[in-house]
Parts: sequence; structure tokens; C-alpha cells
Amino acid sequence: MRVSSNMVPNILADLQQSQSTLNTVLQEVATGKRVNLPSDDPAASSQMVQNTLETANVDQYTKNINSVLANVQQAGSALSSVVTSLTQAVSLGTQGANGTNSASNLAAIAQQVQSILSAVVAAANTSVGGTYLFGGTNTTTAPYTADSSSSTGYTYNGNSNSNSVAIGDNLNVQVNLPGSQIFSDSTNNVIGTLNSLVSALQSGNSAQISAATSSISAAIDTVSQAQGFYSNAASQLNAQETSLQQDTVTLTTQQNSLVGVDEAQAATQLSQAETANSAILAAAAKVLPNTLLNYLSTPSA
Amino acid sequence: MGGLTTSLLTGMQALNATQAALAATSNNIANSNTAGYTREVAQMSEKQEQLIGGTVVGGGVSLNGIQSVRDELINLQIQQQASQRSEADTESSSLQPVQNFFSSTGNDIASTLSAFSSSLLQLSASPSNAAVQESVLTSGQNLAQSFNSTANGLTSAQTTADQQVTTTVAQINSLTQQIAQLNAQLSPSVMTQQNGGTIEDQRDQLVQQLSTLVGISVTQSSDGEVITTGNGTPLVMGGQSYNLQTTTGSDGLQHVLDSNGNDITSNIQGGQLGGTLQIRDHVIPGFLNSLNTLASQFATAFNSAQAAGYDSNGNAGQAFFTVPSGTTGAAAGISVAITSGSQIAVSSDGSAGSNGNVANLSNSLTNALPSGQSAANAYASLVYQVGNAASNASDKSTALSQSILQLTNQQNSVSGVNIDEETTNLIRFQTAYEAAARIISTIQALNTATINMVS
Repeated sequence: MRVSSNMVPNILADLQQSQSTLNTVLQEVATGKRVNLPSDDPAASSQMVQNTLETANVDQYTKNINSVLANVQQAGSALSSVVTSLTQAVSLGTQGANGTNSASNLAAIAQQVQSILSAVVAAANTSVGGTYLFGGTNTTTAPYTADSSSSTGYTYNGNSNSNSVAIGDNLNVQVNLPGSQIFSDSTNNVIGTLNSLVSALQSGNSAQISAATSSISAAIDTVSQAQGFYSNAASQLNAQETSLQQDTVTLTTQQNSLVGVDEAQAATQLSQAETANSAILAAAAKVLPNTLLNYLSTPSA
Repeated sequence: MGGLTTSLLTGMQALNATQAALAATSNNIANSNTAGYTREVAQMSEKQEQLIGGTVVGGGVSLNGIQSVRDELINLQIQQQASQRSEADTESSSLQPVQNFFSSTGNDIASTLSAFSSSLLQLSASPSNAAVQESVLTSGQNLAQSFNSTANGLTSAQTTADQQVTTTVAQINSLTQQIAQLNAQLSPSVMTQQNGGTIEDQRDQLVQQLSTLVGISVTQSSDGEVITTGNGTPLVMGGQSYNLQTTTGSDGLQHVLDSNGNDITSNIQGGQLGGTLQIRDHVIPGFLNSLNTLASQFATAFNSAQAAGYDSNGNAGQAFFTVPSGTTGAAAGISVAITSGSQIAVSSDGSAGSNGNVANLSNSLTNALPSGQSAANAYASLVYQVGNAASNASDKSTALSQSILQLTNQQNSVSGVNIDEETTNLIRFQTAYEAAARIISTIQALNTATINMVS
């Protein structure tokens, strides 16, 4: 077959090819990313959309857990102080019911129970950053305010609703119990029974004191249950946080495998591309100037 | 038996023929790097022998002309493939700027959608926090802007393609006019095979250029080449060229008309014009349609989630996004309707501290839209489509470049100049010329000897 001596198009095409490979690998090494445009790997780019979304979500779930956990722990410790106070009220009530107390003693005990009542109300009105924890979803007004017209002496301003916070895909955890279920429950009304104990102590009626005291004992259970709810929520939040950390690792790994570059492989490819490029250049320099003319002596005159 | 004069004439013919061969060789060497040059060879043949005095004597050499060595079939294949490559190149370069809107820049829809999603999740933990509400509002606005800028990016690529149509058609017309002129010059000289080489080379070059602008089909007729578009619209017939025209259609885009005013826009394939029209009329409208559907369905879903709850002021949730009715222009026109974070419908019971409706808002991002896919998945499909279209176009271009290179090599092996070959020929013809000159001088010496003999 006849061959054209014009090798320039071939050499140029080869040079361009190797130059373009070199550029691609260089960009991969420089950016650390294998996929810079959707056309570099359409499927991976497409999967990255979901990955980006999930990464942002997992990040936020973790932040949610941290912010909610503070509230849950605060609520738990408020309830544990309530339990302590109530236990104290029971022993004061028992003391007041034993019939040996003078009127002034009873008045003093009533005084102490009254201050326990105030402490319990204060705990029920616990707020974190202006958000009341025990008002149901009404978090802007104090759940319990003194009300002389109420039989218990206090009015509940909250509602009976609760919030569930997103801490995972399709995973919501209930993070509050309304005060109406803890402090002013219809069967075990903590505030009501404390209030009646104060009245009974003030009136010196032993039977009423005993009745109120045993009601408070029963109410401790209600509060303890609520305490259990919060500690349960806290451990659920902690467990989910650990699982989210795992998710973060998985997502980062996925991201790397989708669009990241394998440094070692990229470095190898870079040196291969360099070698190929210089080989073509060297070959071109050697081959291009060669013609028959190099071997013919100049025609002498 | 021939006389000395016969030999003298034979020597003369040899000198002429060899000169012509030397001229062809030197022209080949001179044009060895000229694009589109087809090597020439001097065509020689034996002359009819003569019967002189009962003896047959050779009649010498005859120069038939100088002919270009070309292979029309390879030229045709190169034209077709160049046409397809140019189409793929045009698609690839038009999609390059479009792709930027779909790559992870922080302002792309994937990033802003993720930010919007995470701000909503934050609202789940802090439903009444004004700063968090504002951040939802801001990220909602960013998302709307991403939709706007992506849609605008697609539209502007479409506009650029539209402007290219007019320029490309003008280039096509200029080329077809030049080709027709060359055809006219070529038709008489083709017969004599004299001097046709250069004009044919020029015409081949122009046809080659034309094929990169639009897919063409070339046939030979008695008047010279007939060039039509792939679907048969005449562009050049012999010495006559037919201009294409453009006109603004009812859709506001440029339409291509043949010389009789018929709309041939949808029939054009191949070349820069084919690629441009493919991008403008099919590829980008497809992307825009998906994007608009997504924007419209997402906004509707989010607005109905808003309507299910109450905002921080206790009012029923009002629309968060405004979208143009119908899907057309939804992505370009989407905007945030509410003006304050307190208007986000976080609450399910009307109290400010409730986060009961936040889950509904978040779910509108993850739940399947009427299209059957969630917002993120619908967008992911679109990213795949865009990336795939761009990578297909550039892969196609690379593959065609390879095959064009092979065809060009094949063409060069027929028509290209080989310096070594020309150098060899140069030596060959030099020797032949020297020998022919020697015939003349020998005959002259013999003539002189004869004359001296007589005197």
C-alpha cells in the first residue's frame, strides 16, 4: 500500500489524546475529585444528589439531637427534684398526721409544705431559653400560674399536646410530656394534693392530712413515670446519635467512592500519562524530520 | 527504417513529457503541506508505432495531461463522518455551560434543596425559634433562586443555539454560492482533464466545510456536483446555488426555510446546524420540561403541607412558594411568597410551640411527587440526563474523530504527497531528462558528422 509521508495528522491526534489524558488526570489529582461535571460520570453525579441531601440531613439530625437532648435532660432533672420534694412532703405529711403536733408545729410544717409546693410549681414552670418545657405545645407562657378561684390554687395554661422531633429518616422521638399529664393529672394531681395537704395542715385535721399524704405518695409514681419517659427519650437520642455517626461515615465513604479520586491510582495514572506524552513527543521529534533527502548527497554542479 | 529526424522528434517528445513530469513532481513537493491538495501525476502513454520502410519503429512518448489522484468514495465517507462529528461537537459544547448549573457548586438545586431540608429539620427541634424560622425562609429563597438560575441557564443555552442558527445558515449560503461558482468553472475543463485539479481541490475543501455545517448528500451529474441536505432540499445544482433562509417562527425561534420558503427546520440533521437544532428543539426543551414539572409539583406539594398547619401567629398556613400556573415557566418563575419566618406553618394545633406540621413540611421533600419520584430523586434523574447527554455527545465525537483520522490516512495514502516518493521521482525524471537531452546531442553530433561527410 502507498503511504503518505505526511505523519503530522496522526502525530497531532496522538499528542492531543495524550495531552487530554494528562489534563484529566492532572485535574483529578489537583481537585481530589474524579467527577467535576455531570458528564464525567452521569450515574455517580446523579447518586451524589441523594448523598448531598442525606449528608445535610444526617448533620441536622445530629444537631437536633444535641439541642433536644439539653431540653430532655433539663426536664428529667426538674422531675427528679420534684420527686425529692414530694418524698419530703410525704414525710412532712406523715409527721403532721401523727397527732402529737402542736398548732404552731403544724403551722410550721404547713409552711414547709407550702414552700415545697412553690418549688414544685417552679419546677413545672422550668424553661430553657424562654421555652417552657411542661406546657405541652404552648411553650411561650408559664404552664402554672396562681389562681385563687381554682380548687388546686393553680391554673394550667398549657395544652395536652406534645412535640416529636425528627432525629432520623422516618424517625421522630416524642420529646415532651404536657404538664397536665405530670403535675395536674386528673387522678394524681400533684399540685392539687400538695395544696390540700397545706390546707389540711393549716386546719390541723389529721384524717385529711393522712389522706393528702397518701395521695402525694401515689402522685410520686406519676412523676416517676414521667421521669422514666424523659430518661428513655434521652437514651433513645443518645443511641440515635451513635447510629448517625455511623451514617456519616457511610455517606462520606459513599461520596468518596462516587466522586472522589484514589490518590495512589491517580498518581500512577499521572506518571503514566506523563511518560506517554513525552514518548510521543520524542518519537515525533525523531521521525518527523526524516526523509530520503537526509540520505542523498546534494547534487554537485 | 526511420531517419535521424525521427529520433530527434522522439527525443523532443521525451524532453516534453519529462518536463511535465518534473513540473507535476515539483508542484507536489511545493504543495506537500497544502490542506486539501491532491497529488498530481503526469499521464504518459506510448505513441502509435510507425511503419517506415517496412520496419516498425516506436512512435515515442505522448503526454496525456496531468491528473490529480483522488478517491471520491473516501471523500464522501469523510464528509458524512465530519458532518456527524460536527453535530456531536456542537451538542457537546452547547451542553458544557448547561452542565455547570447541574454540578455541585453550592448554588445548584441539590445543594440548596439539601440546605432547605436541613433547615426544616432544625425547625423540628426549635419550632418557635425566630432565627431558625428565618433560616428556613432564606434557604427556601435560595432554593427558588437555584430553580430560577438553572432554568435561566437552560434558556440562555437555548437562545445561544437559536442565534447560531442564523449565523450557520449564512455560512452555508456563502459556501454553496462558492461551490456553485467552482462547479460552473469546472464543467468544461473536466472534459479535457487539464487544470481541473486545483479547482476540484478547492471544491472538495468547500464541500468538506459545508458538510461540517449541515448533513449533505453529494451526487455527480453532467453539470457537476449536486448537493442536497440529507432530506433532499437542494443546495447546489451544477452552477446554481439555492440559498436557505431563516425566519422567526410563532414560537419566537428561528426557523430554516428552503429557497421556496418551505419550513425544513425539523428535517435538518447533521453538522453544526443539525446539532444546534437538536439542542435547541429537543435536548434543552426536554430538560426544561423536567425542571418545570419538578418546580411546579414540589411547590404545590410544599404549599399543601403549609396549608395543613398553622403559622406562629396562629393563622392557617398560607402558600410558601408562588409558582406560575401550569408547568411552563414554573422553574424560572418560582419564588417565595411569604415575607416572614413567622408565617411558616410549623404548628399543627395553632400554638406557637407546636412542631406538629414540620414533619408534613419535611415530608413534602421526601415523599413521592405526582411524577412518582421525590423532589431529590426527580432532580437526580435530571442530573443523570444532562450528564449522559453531554458525555454521549463527547464520546461520539471522540469515536468519530478516530474514524475520520483513519479515513484521512486512507485518503492521504491515495491523494497525499509522499516526499520520499517525490524525491525518487525527481531523480528518476532527472535521469530521464538527461538521457533525452543526450539523444538530442547525439543526433546533433550524428547530423554534424553526416553533414561533414557530405561537404
